Amino acid sequence: MRLYWELSKLAFQRQITYRAATLAGLVTNLFFGLLRVAVLMALYGSRSQVEGISAADAITYTGISQGTIAFLSLFSWYEVMNSVYTGAVASDLLKPMSYFSFWMAQDFGRAIASLLLRGAPILAAYAFLFDITYPRGVGGWAAFGLALILAWLVSFSWRFLVSLAAFWTPNAQGIGRLAFIVSWFLSGFMMPLRFFPDWFISLCYLTPFPHMVNTIIEVYLGLLAGPQLVAALSAQAVWVLVLIATGRIVLGAGLRRLVIQGG
Amino acid sequence: MKAWNALGIYHRLVSVKIRGQLQYRLSFLSDVIATGLITTLGFGTLALVLQRFENIGGWSLAEIAFLFGMVETSFGTMDMLFSGFDPQGFGQHVRRGTFDQLLLRPVGITVQVLGSEFILRRVGRIAQGLVIFGFALATLEIDWTAAKILYLPVVFASLVCFFGGLFITGATFSFWTVEALEVINIFTYGGNEMIGYPAHIYPDWMRRTFTFIIPAIFLNYYPALFFLDKPDPFGLPVFAPFLAPLVGLGSLFAALAFWRFGIRHYQSTGT
Amino acid sequence: MRPIIQVSGLEKHFKVFKHHRGLWGSLLNLATRQYSVVRAVDGITFEMQPGELVGYLGPNGAGKSTTIKMLTGLLVPSAGELRVNGFVPWKERQAYVARIGAVFGQRTTLWWDLPVIESLDLLQYIYQIPTDRYHQNLAEFRQLLELDPFLNTPVRSLSLGQRMRADLSAALLHDPTLLFLDEPTIGLDVVAKERIRQFIGHINRQRGTTIILTTHDLSDVEKMCERVMIIDRGRLLFDGQLSTLRERFGGKRQLVVDFAEPYEDVSINGAEVYKQDGLRATYGFDGKEITASELIGRLSTRYRIHDLEVRAPDIETTIRRIYEEGLLESTR
Repeated sequence: MRLYWELSKLAFQRQITYRAATLAGLVTNLFFGLLRVAVLMALYGSRSQVEGISAADAITYTGISQGTIAFLSLFSWYEVMNSVYTGAVASDLLKPMSYFSFWMAQDFGRAIASLLLRGAPILAAYAFLFDITYPRGVGGWAAFGLALILAWLVSFSWRFLVSLAAFWTPNAQGIGRLAFIVSWFLSGFMMPLRFFPDWFISLCYLTPFPHMVNTIIEVYLGLLAGPQLVAALSAQAVWVLVLIATGRIVLGAGLRRLVIQGG
Repeated sequence: MKAWNALGIYHRLVSVKIRGQLQYRLSFLSDVIATGLITTLGFGTLALVLQRFENIGGWSLAEIAFLFGMVETSFGTMDMLFSGFDPQGFGQHVRRGTFDQLLLRPVGITVQVLGSEFILRRVGRIAQGLVIFGFALATLEIDWTAAKILYLPVVFASLVCFFGGLFITGATFSFWTVEALEVINIFTYGGNEMIGYPAHIYPDWMRRTFTFIIPAIFLNYYPALFFLDKPDPFGLPVFAPFLAPLVGLGSLFAALAFWRFGIRHYQSTGT
Repeated sequence: MRPIIQVSGLEKHFKVFKHHRGLWGSLLNLATRQYSVVRAVDGITFEMQPGELVGYLGPNGAGKSTTIKMLTGLLVPSAGELRVNGFVPWKERQAYVARIGAVFGQRTTLWWDLPVIESLDLLQYIYQIPTDRYHQNLAEFRQLLELDPFLNTPVRSLSLGQRMRADLSAALLHDPTLLFLDEPTIGLDVVAKERIRQFIGHINRQRGTTIILTTHDLSDVEKMCERVMIIDRGRLLFDGQLSTLRERFGGKRQLVVDFAEPYEDVSINGAEVYKQDGLRATYGFDGKEITASELIGRLSTRYRIHDLEVRAPDIETTIRRIYEEGLLESTR
């Protein structure tokens, strides 16, 4: 356990080392946030609310989704692929811990650092610039926190699974790129999923993607009451289990391949 | 003679790059598709959402498609022609010291950087941009005059020059910082995203920034008002739609001047 | 003859960001930023005559590559004068680099995806080398460096040694008067090193190409260079003949002894114990004071000796002594 803690701490430190990069990322995320606010407000026009989402909610939505880009590594994450390509995977496998946990511990540190240095400041900036909404009471914040952690677990186990493609093909980055692009559109990152036609929403919910972004937003905005909330959080948890289990099987196959072919 | 020689070298360098990319036909094809996917999915999202919202800032889907298609096509073209200046890739060259290798060759540095990369898969983006633009042309009943027909390619070229200027500016920044390079995305990808929508949806400060400081508004929004015969909501002079070539070339030349300055700085500090 | 390189009082300063360490330190780095000025090159003066082959030595971070970067025009000096081949390198870049060649051992000038021959063809075009001259040179290098087996192989698939041979050819195709070699043998095996050294020597003798070579492999210098310059912490510690260096600082010869049984105290009159490791001891002695046979005689009367070996002072020890003992600090 101490080993995992150290790994997380190291990843955390690595993440906060780059002051200029952090600041640049913040400014960029915020700028795109403002752009998206303008687009959403132009869509709203004179409407005060659409599908239970008020204009203030919509603004808040862009803040939350921009704030989780770094936390969930929504744009790119090629660390595992690179470790396979550089051969670092061999020494990682010799460590007295599972390969999956080895990376999960590191991603946890990275995610927490991103949440503090990228997520929180963006939300603070939004609170300063706009009249945003907040979760209702301690219960609301607790549910949001739980949804965030589950979203990170879904996201990590999904990214890990995609990365395993590197065991089979030398061009896994292309596959990764494709996976990331698809996830933006189906996760509710581009637009709240409630704005889409029903058939499209159902399609999205066949994938793990809405459980990364859309769920945390709906929980934050308090759109899900009692049983709906429980169902949403459970759905996240189920996807975590499914993705981890799949990841284990695929990793096993990948490692066997690595051993047989010698990388 | 010198310019001719530079052109010859550029041609040779670029054909080398293109041949390299066509070596792996399958991965090239999948890359082409992936590259264009963002464009299509982005537009698709808007189309789906507009089923619920009907219009965006008073503009219909087809009108948005006119703006969006034009921007995507020209950005994609720029992205291919100016691949060597892509701030991310160029920053890597500087950091790894491969940029030094270019400085050791007796050829103009700008031509060499321009010829150092030519990412052919961007045709995916160009193609999907053109499809969206084609959808706009087919749906909208544009009143084509001779002036409009002549001006359309000028607007495209101006957009390419403008975006190229942004890439060169971004690449130049990597002589100072590699870490903070992400900010450049605001101007390149942010600028691209921004002018894909009609300018009147933005708050005043944002619109003024893109009118007077980085005059991108004259490259897309004002020309679009002219092509679609829409009134100007901001009351700028009547020649405003025709400033595109001035702004396009102006920003390209300004960027090149900054680039020269950046190289001098690089030679005095290294990295 | 007019010198081909004239350097006087050359300096280069860099600003360096100070990092704090640890978890608290990394938080501190976010908040504060302190710089210190590093004098990577701190007042260097030397000249080189056409046709010389000079070894430029120094430990990592001594200022070797900063000097080379200034000499090749990649960096503008902070202070001092610099004239190479009649040019101020950084001022007239294009005209200057047309007459020099450079090989940086760590990276290639060739196009990664291209077969070697196509890279070379491209360079003919870039340097505007007359066609017959190009073919003449190419034929010579193909023979001397045995390029043929991999001439049609993409650069990315070459071994390190092959790549270095290709890079050397690329740097010499346009008949440069001056050649910069930065660690040309780094990472190569003994055979490959030897081949490269012979080639460099050949080019220097046959074509009169002036060559400046940085390396930390001292056998490169011993085999190729007559003149060496040693730089440390930005300053030139030594500039002169290799033989002078040996004479002045070569100091003691070494005697390595394997004893037949372990001794606690192996000291002996007339020699100094450098190292004692199990049954083996290394002595240093001054050949002017005591001969090797005398010393061996003294040793064998006191200890039972199994085997022994006398070593001449090699340049590696010499230079290590210069660094460790600061031998040249006072001669500056």
